[in-house]
Amino acid sequence: MAVQRQSRTIKSVFRLFVIVGLLVFAHAAYSAAQHRLYLRITEREFTGLPADIVVQIILAFLVICCGLVNIAGDFREIKASKELENKSWETFGNQPSFYTFTHRGRVLFSTVPELDDEADQED
Amino acid sequence: MASYRENLDEPAQLIQPLCSCWEDARDLLREWREENLRNSEQVVEVGDFLMQGGLAGKLGDEVWPAYEQIFLAALECGRLELAQVCYKQLRRQFPGSLRVAKLEAMRYEFLQKYDVAEQKYQKILEGDEANSAVHKRLIAIHKAQGKIPEAIKELNKYLERFMSDHEAWLELANLYIAEMEYGKAAFCLEELIMANPQCHLYHQRYAEVRYTQGGTENMELARKYFAQAAKLNPTSIRALFGLFLAASHLAAQQKGGGTKSSKSENKKYAAWAAKQIQERYEALGQREESQVKALTATLDSLELS
Repeated sequence: MAVQRQSRTIKSVFRLFVIVGLLVFAHAAYSAAQHRLYLRITEREFTGLPADIVVQIILAFLVICCGLVNIAGDFREIKASKELENKSWETFGNQPSFYTFTHRGRVLFSTVPELDDEADQED
Repeated sequence: MASYRENLDEPAQLIQPLCSCWEDARDLLREWREENLRNSEQVVEVGDFLMQGGLAGKLGDEVWPAYEQIFLAALECGRLELAQVCYKQLRRQFPGSLRVAKLEAMRYEFLQKYDVAEQKYQKILEGDEANSAVHKRLIAIHKAQGKIPEAIKELNKYLERFMSDHEAWLELANLYIAEMEYGKAAFCLEELIMANPQCHLYHQRYAEVRYTQGGTENMELARKYFAQAAKLNPTSIRALFGLFLAASHLAAQQKGGGTKSSKSENKKYAAWAAKQIQERYEALGQREESQVKALTATLDSLELS
């Protein structure tokens, strides 16, 4: 239980990361738009974004990445054979398309003694 | 509808029921469907539980695959009346469905009326020639009658058209093994390994076939493929035992013609596999000590032979 609760709080922290990151992102976008507007009003050539906006974008990107990676769930093993490791021949070698019915099953588990006659009439 | 348990001598209360509510039943059936497990006895028991309580309707849309599953399991267990219930429900829901028509033909197969079943299958194929499930049933009919060579012939024809069908390749390998044509079985398994190189089970199976064939060359192949299987899945005891047996066999065999270095190498492999097996058993815990001792004795005796 304690572990579960702990993981839940950790998850909410990372969710906060994502939200904050998105807000910073939005702020950076707004700032960039404002900057273009300012340039247009003062009739200057656009050469590039100011450094503080660029830094803001990079920071927001990193924070969002960090948050998303941690809340998206567990990673899968990179080894392709990992998922097959728990399989056994019992399930892997089973071929339902090729089942035949002439085996011990009908003798062991059947509840109706005279199968064949009854089934004929029922059709 | 009587439960099959009443046929057994054991008092019913000694056996724990598999499920007590329909949610459990649904989850069990779904798990078995996804796992591709052939536990028809249990499926029938869960099916009985659902039918007796009239709970099948609660499953919603999932009831249809469940009906199909229970139908197949009921046929396997000789429970025709349960199969009939499932079949009637399915036919009412999907009147024109070929998949349901296939089930009807399977019922005839169960009754060993293979001619009728075959006619029904051919009729389905007239409408839908690419219905691979029906083609496979036609092959299964041969198998059920014990005509393995015919089944092999038909299956080869089928595989010419449906080359990517893993299940069919595996079945062909099994049929060849039944006919003791190990070389051909090995070819089928090679095909499967090519399609699925990460699967330790195919490697292991291939190695087993080669081991059965015998001879130095095949034994070396078996050793290599057992080793690959053990590499892909280090927890596979069967692969480790296979590696141990193949390697110690080679070490003993090469007394005459084989070079000394390969002999000592094989001894090394066998010792490594034996150590791995022992470690796995010891990891199980202290209580298994007697088993570990028995295992050591077994490994020693196998090495000597």
